[in-house]
Amino acid sequence: MKHTRNAVQLLVLFALGAAVVLSVVLPQLPFVARESEPVEITVILRQSNSSAWSNARLGMEQAAGSLRAELRLLTLTADNDADEQAQLMLYEAGRGADALVVVPAGCRLPDAGVPLVTLESVDPAARAAVCPDNEALGRALAAAALADDPAGEVLLVTCCPDSDGAARRLAAARDALEAAGVPVRQVDPGRDAGGLEALLSDADAAAALLLEPQATEAAAELKERLALPIALYGVGSTGRIAAWLEKEVLNASAVWSDFAAGYLAVERAVNAARGQACADELLEFVILRGEDIYAPDNQKLLFPVAS
Amino acid sequence: MKKLFARAAARLARRYRTMSIQMVISLSFTAVAVTGMALMGLSLVWRFSAGAEELANENTRRVLSQVNMNLDSYLRRMMRVSDAMYYQVIKNTDLESERLEPGMELLYEENRDELVSIAVFDGQGALVAGTPLNALKAGADPASSDWYQAALDRMENLHFSAPHIQNLFEDPDYGYRWVVSLSRYVQLTRAGITYSGVLLVDMSFSGIEQVCRDVELTNGGYLYLTDAAGELIYHPRQQLIYAGLAAENNLAAAALADGTHQETFGGEERLVTVKTVGYTGWKLVGVVPRAGAGDDGGYTFLFGLSMLLFSAFLLAFLNFRISARISDPIRRLEQSVKELEAGAEQVVIREDGCYEVRRLAHSIASMVSTMRHLMDDIIRQEQQKRRSELEVLQSQINPHFLYNTLDSVIWMTEAGRYEEAIQMVTSLARLFRISLSRGDSLIPLTEELEHARHYMTIQQIRYRDKFSTRISAQPDTRQLYTLKLIVQPLLENAIYHGMAGCEEDGRITVTAKREGDDLVIDVSDNGTGMPPEVAKGLLDENRPQTRTSGSGIGVRNVHRRIRLTFGERYGLEVFSEPDEGTTVRIRLPLITAEDAARLQREDKP
Repeated sequence: MKHTRNAVQLLVLFALGAAVVLSVVLPQLPFVARESEPVEITVILRQSNSSAWSNARLGMEQAAGSLRAELRLLTLTADNDADEQAQLMLYEAGRGADALVVVPAGCRLPDAGVPLVTLESVDPAARAAVCPDNEALGRALAAAALADDPAGEVLLVTCCPDSDGAARRLAAARDALEAAGVPVRQVDPGRDAGGLEALLSDADAAAALLLEPQATEAAAELKERLALPIALYGVGSTGRIAAWLEKEVLNASAVWSDFAAGYLAVERAVNAARGQACADELLEFVILRGEDIYAPDNQKLLFPVAS
Repeated sequence: MKKLFARAAARLARRYRTMSIQMVISLSFTAVAVTGMALMGLSLVWRFSAGAEELANENTRRVLSQVNMNLDSYLRRMMRVSDAMYYQVIKNTDLESERLEPGMELLYEENRDELVSIAVFDGQGALVAGTPLNALKAGADPASSDWYQAALDRMENLHFSAPHIQNLFEDPDYGYRWVVSLSRYVQLTRAGITYSGVLLVDMSFSGIEQVCRDVELTNGGYLYLTDAAGELIYHPRQQLIYAGLAAENNLAAAALADGTHQETFGGEERLVTVKTVGYTGWKLVGVVPRAGAGDDGGYTFLFGLSMLLFSAFLLAFLNFRISARISDPIRRLEQSVKELEAGAEQVVIREDGCYEVRRLAHSIASMVSTMRHLMDDIIRQEQQKRRSELEVLQSQINPHFLYNTLDSVIWMTEAGRYEEAIQMVTSLARLFRISLSRGDSLIPLTEELEHARHYMTIQQIRYRDKFSTRISAQPDTRQLYTLKLIVQPLLENAIYHGMAGCEEDGRITVTAKREGDDLVIDVSDNGTGMPPEVAKGLLDENRPQTRTSGSGIGVRNVHRRIRLTFGERYGLEVFSEPDEGTTVRIRLPLITAEDAARLQREDKP
């Protein structure tokens, strides 16, 4: 009887003691503590200039601040250099980055051994991708061009043909245009003779679909400077693109929230670094023309409030 | 539910009946203490939460007042700019001969950190003057703008717009700036004729942002600013909200009156404090999550739980110790009672523990002692009674012996053997006198031997000297006392059994001597004897008692009397061999005259 009583008492004390220890130790356990530990996220763009990503960077910084992450933004020494980007990824992973956010310059990214989130393109090595539906975007741009009834050939322009996102947009746009009976020509300003200026000045070209922001800005700048008659349909939401839309240098541009893209990419990278689940995010986009940009919702989309 | 409760209560009652007192004390103390502690903790948490909430409200109100003052100050500065532009520049300028730009640029330069532009439009919306940009965009139509219409609709007021992108002027830097427009109706003068116009002061959004930014409220709260319609002017997560990644209850907040309100938004309970900014109708809204719902809520809960569990652990440990201390004496007492029930004789009843238990233990010990005394008394009385009965039996003279003796006296008298008859009668009288001994059970050894000698005298006369007798005692035994009438039954046994086959060579000897602390009286005969196993069986208590032809009850009664009087160590021993004879040894303690007197006193009731 006495032994039973002692056993019950010991059991009660042991259970209470274990509960005390557990409640004290629980916040220190690795899987609990990880949520509060800061993580380091490296963002690697595919350009040498990050100005086109300033809105996305605002979103990334806001996400990093909210989620206790340290952000490191890297650009390439040459635009769209997939090899350099791959080396940078491996270097950053080896240096101790907990996750990578990459705007892919090539069609396949290496497995750096840390969680990877891509912007603009989908990549098999990535845990998640944050980008618009690139095929839908290509079709929407083509529809915008078709709505203006182009009287001639439509150029499909990208400065980064190896980018999966741009390639998908291009393929979808080509299909849509060809289906509508419009002649199309895929051009690469980096390789074609005479470059973009010669391409846009071609009398046969009635319109050009510029499938990423870099090509859009370059084409719009040329058109404004040379007063070219070609209709331009671009991608992006930088201040310059907005101005060209307003001036009708650009007939239309596919626009999404770069701020949201940057925020969501870093959020997913942080989650992946902390071992949590993360999924692809399809960003909604709209095709804006110059007369639409001052609509209240479009103002919010195009011009981020710096806070 | 009721049935379930009744079943649980019955189960508890059953368990209670089988529980030890320690378990009952410790568990009930622990349960009561933990319940009390939990209630107290909840009460403290409730009070703390209420206090924290009140503190958060107070803090929010204070912060909102401060921000309101700063915002008010900022807006007043902007209004002063507008007033200065109107009353010091526009009113004093005749556009026919003068320009507004110099005064306008001066005001702009003085406030350029907070201003984006200053411009004046005429009644048709045409630009009259502007700084720092003064070229309208090709498609710009100021007259259709809200700020323009508001200024013309309510001419006496200043009007603040919601934040918007300034889209009027050509900007070579492609600058698209968020502004809040302050507009008012003005009267322009040209060639002495006044006409309507609108003064526009575009405030930089960053000016408002600086006023509201970095304001921290308790428990991770924040502050935002809306216009009267609920349109966000400033929010720390404004761009997230614009991007659809976050949400705010701004439309509902704009409809609230000034003060603190509770709301649940996005599954979160929060306190919303609203303050209306003067002149503008804007609303400053402070949002504070309810106490405990912040990032640290989980840790605070864990800490509280940890403290509660530790307290429960400590209480349980102390209760187990205290209950053990209280109940151990009771448990020992119970164990002692159990041992008593089991028949143990030497049970120690410890009188320790608290007062009531000590009293109980004392009472039980006292009761046990009384019972033992009573039992001892009963046993002693029983023994006394038995001994008395045996003594009575022992003291009775066998009627056959008496008859035979008297018959022998008659016969000797008739035969003229007067001397022998006298001797026989004398011995019989002495025999009776010693048998009586004034009722004492202890008599001097000398008297006991004298009694044996008279008995043997009578028997020798009767049996015509068929055997000889020798009775002797060592000198150091003469002062000793013995139980009376213990030798005569042995002599009787020796005569009837030992001498039965003897002719004239029978010999019976009685010797008394000291042996250590004992008095030993040997009654020996050289008769037929018996096998040792038969001799051993003579004293067997379980052997059926048979009356022999002797004069007394027998050897076994003598043995019983001695043991009843002096204990198991004393009594008779029988040594016998067939054809060798028999010796019956009486072993008694050494009893002096004082001992005998004391024992006699104790025996008397």
